Amino acid sequence: MRRRLLGAALALVAAASLAGCSDGGAEASGAPELSVDGAFMPQPVNADMAAGFFKVTNKGSAADQLTSVTSPSAARVTLHSTKDGTMREQDAFEVPADGTLDFSRGGNHLMFEELTGRPAVGDTVEVTLHFSESGEIEVSLPVKEATYNPAKASGPGHGTAHPAQGRTAQEHHGTVRS
Amino acid sequence: MRKKTLLAAALLSASALTLTACGGSAESDKPVASVSSDVATEKAATVLDQPFKKPDLVLTDTQGKKFDLRERTAGKPTLIYFGYTNCPDVCPLTMSNIAIAKKALPKADQEKLQVVFVSTDPEHDTPEVLGSWLKGQDPDFIGLTGDFATIQGGARTIGISIDEPTKDKNGKRVSMHGKQVIAFSPKDDAGYVMYGDDATADDYQKDLPKLLTGAKP
Repeated sequence: MRRRLLGAALALVAAASLAGCSDGGAEASGAPELSVDGAFMPQPVNADMAAGFFKVTNKGSAADQLTSVTSPSAARVTLHSTKDGTMREQDAFEVPADGTLDFSRGGNHLMFEELTGRPAVGDTVEVTLHFSESGEIEVSLPVKEATYNPAKASGPGHGTAHPAQGRTAQEHHGTVRS
Repeated sequence: MRKKTLLAAALLSASALTLTACGGSAESDKPVASVSSDVATEKAATVLDQPFKKPDLVLTDTQGKKFDLRERTAGKPTLIYFGYTNCPDVCPLTMSNIAIAKKALPKADQEKLQVVFVSTDPEHDTPEVLGSWLKGQDPDFIGLTGDFATIQGGARTIGISIDEPTKDKNGKRVSMHGKQVIAFSPKDDAGYVMYGDDATADDYQKDLPKLLTGAKP
């Protein structure tokens, strides 16, 4: 318990230092350098609506913006944040320089509407992420079970699992920055 | 426990301050308070010191029939959640977690447990829409819809704050689900345990046998 608390607190402090005052001035010179990982879609209830998650990492010294998402599998894909039980559609999400943009369960998510069919576990849904600086990035979202959540290690005692600590810090980092 | 929680909260606030202080370009209208979310708690369940009375709600079920919540669930272990079907992430996740945990119970216990999903978007969630959506989770889940003000009033009595879906000034959609699932005891029908939306299927599976008897998890 104690170790977990300390770990989480330290991780946040580390995140704070990392994210610290590095934005100013950097944006003019460098360029964003984006990569996307951890993408998935939880199996939706029906073909009306589904969610999508992933993480964008920016190793470059300039920020970028995720401005829209398209998919051949849905009539519409929109960007949403969730906070305190309120889901808000967003125009765009910032990917900070030397930072990450997290889409994770209970937080930021893609909302797919009017899908061409109901995606099932084992399927893959293709999307194109459109960034204002970096252009387009193609991402494949494997469909996972409805309750899939990589931020929660499975099994009893998940709360003390070490990977969960780092994840928590990242999530908070993303939340504050976005 | 208390001391540790406070320490953690203090450290978290400090980091949050650092972040916002430096982030000149970061949006300033986002509260940083969420940083303190459940890092300090290990258990998914929060046992309430002052239990809630079951909301006095008379709504419409997925068959289009009148459903009196207090009357129909009296003396039965009951989980209540407020959400909407046009919700891709937290609402189906919460229902799926409970559905998985319920399936792990012995058959007789499964029949005792009442899971009630009350729509926060009744204009969209007609009995048909709600029924078809819930069937994808568990055909025995109870879905209720009706007048929004009535639903909002009922939610408020158990500490759940919801507003009707709307659009912001830029035409972007804003919608709400309840933040908690409340468990009501079969012994006195009081809402005595609360789960946040980060409770997992494992958490529910571990606690359901106790909730079925009205015991504290």
